[in-house]
Amino acid sequence: MSLEPRVIAALGRRALSVQFRRAQLLMPTFVLPLMLLAVIASGTSSAQDLEGFPAVGSYLSFVLPGTIIQGALLAGLTSGIALASDIESGFFDRLLAAPVRRVSLVLGRLAGTLGLSVLQTAFFLLVALPFGARYPGGVAGLAGTVVLAAVTAVGIGGIAAAIALRTGSLSLMQSIFPFVFVLLFTAPAFFPRELLTPVLADLAVFNPLTYVVEASRGLLAGDAELGSPIAGLGASLGLAIATTALAVFALAERLRTT
Amino acid sequence: MPPLDAAAPAVEVRGLVREFKGGIRAVDGLDLEVRGGEIYGFLGPNGAGKTTLVRILTTLLRPTSGSARVAGYDVVTDADRVRRSIGVALQEAAIDPLMTGRELLRMQGALHALRGSEAKRRASELLDRVGLTTAGDRRVGGYSGGMRRRLDLALALVHRPDVLFLDEPTTGLDPTSRAALWREVRSLNDEGTTVFLTTQYLEEAEQLADRVGIIAGGRLEAEGTPDVLKARVGEPMLIVTVDDPADADAAREALRELGRVEPCAPGGTPERVVVRTVRGKEAIPPAIRALDERGVAVASVEVESPTLDDVFAAVTGSRLEGAAEPESAAA
Ligand SMILES: Nc1ncnc2c1ncn2[C@@H]1O[C@H](COP(=O)(O)OP(=O)(O)OP(=O)(O)O)[C@@H](O)[C@H]1O
Ligand SMILES: [Mg+2]
Repeated sequence: MSLEPRVIAALGRRALSVQFRRAQLLMPTFVLPLMLLAVIASGTSSAQDLEGFPAVGSYLSFVLPGTIIQGALLAGLTSGIALASDIESGFFDRLLAAPVRRVSLVLGRLAGTLGLSVLQTAFFLLVALPFGARYPGGVAGLAGTVVLAAVTAVGIGGIAAAIALRTGSLSLMQSIFPFVFVLLFTAPAFFPRELLTPVLADLAVFNPLTYVVEASRGLLAGDAELGSPIAGLGASLGLAIATTALAVFALAERLRTT
Repeated sequence: MPPLDAAAPAVEVRGLVREFKGGIRAVDGLDLEVRGGEIYGFLGPNGAGKTTLVRILTTLLRPTSGSARVAGYDVVTDADRVRRSIGVALQEAAIDPLMTGRELLRMQGALHALRGSEAKRRASELLDRVGLTTAGDRRVGGYSGGMRRRLDLALALVHRPDVLFLDEPTTGLDPTSRAALWREVRSLNDEGTTVFLTTQYLEEAEQLADRVGIIAGGRLEAEGTPDVLKARVGEPMLIVTVDDPADADAAREALRELGRVEPCAPGGTPERVVVRTVRGKEAIPPAIRALDERGVAVASVEVESPTLDDVFAAVTGSRLEGAAEPESAAA
């Protein structure tokens, strides 16, 4: 099975540049997570005094991985939205009429998601610095976090793309938005697992994002006690591979039934 | 890519049917052939099935039954080879308003396996060809309808396709933009590109197409060169309006040798005399002479040729919306 790197790169570049020209996609990916971060960090920093809270430099450092993963989720979701919009406008037909492997159309879209997530994560990590975030994990920890987030974004992008391909509906994609937060709040994004209610804590075990958030916390703090990088990478890679396959299957299904 | 067999038709459709959910047969048993190097005009009203056929021929839609080959390749089993051979400009110009013309062209180049530098050069070349060099670095969202159509055409040409599909390329364009697009299509055809275009405009089919197929309700109702199709409907009419209705019979007598004189229609205008003549416009001078010799005073002499709209009306029983006025040569 030969890949088409040139095609995937061209589609990824296009997806990424359009993302930056569309305010309604830029808002949720870059601005929304930061706003939530500001609210949480300023309003609930006393949470850190709670018993069971792990020792992390500051609450900001603790929730930043949550913000980063939230960004990855939204990056994935917006790429599904952009895909649905391509389908509705007929742009996707232009791609389908080209002599390229159908898999490349999915991979190109997800390459854009990957690129977006890298930029986003770097942005969040940088913005948090002047507000007191510190990264004892060093360069390796930062790089690891960027990779984890990007792979997670692809994982969510795969689900979003699969839904977009099956329904071809932009409005449906937009209505999925709130579910992202369900996914986020059933993971210890903003509170440690020990502080989640029993039901949520049980759910968190099955949420791959749990392992991603904890791993990134561990990587940034340079403390594997906080989360295993291997578990995080495993969870995000597993998610990415499974949902990419799902999206490829959804495209094949779409082509078979039209 | 193996060279295209010169004898193989550029498009070959056999018993093609496409049924949509709900039982609509958008294409209902089509057979047609387009020869290499030809401009084939597919003429039909809204909902006739034009886009459905184009989407099948460009591998975007699967046929329900029947078969279609493009550039010698089956559109279902050999879709990738078909895609390499064709250029497509779909009805809804599928261009991303947030991208610039040049970006779109370069992306299209990459989709057709051009290397970066090659795609870049080809983009400039094509922008120049369709007159968008200065607009090329602007976002497509700000283009006029005519500019979009031209860009769409350029996009279809990136890989120098053998067969070009244009779905209603000039719908909604003003006469100047339309004429510019026609010129471009003609010059592409002169370079050897086979063109399959759909249109709702009789004039477009007439001006551009070597052969015309008339589609209605998913069926091919008539096919041929515009001249042959028009001749099928009838000979041109020479229409003489005399000053004094009392002279009408004398006029009929005088025009007898020019063609078949139609009897005065009951309830028609008595000063109107109609002669069916193959000579068309050339019958005007002898008609005036003959009338003059008999001393018949005439108000006007004109020739009405059948139009593709007449052909359309004859084969489908209805007229195309917005059809052009009948061609007439008045004297
Ligand atoms: N995806 C679809 N699902 C159901 N019906 C469809 C679909 N696409 C087209 N049709 C129907 O098939 C028929 C032919 O449509 P088509 O778009 O091919 O016509 P057309 O000749 O291109 O018309 P127009 O001049 O308006 O573009 C119409 O009745 C249309 O409603
Ligand atoms: Mg159409």
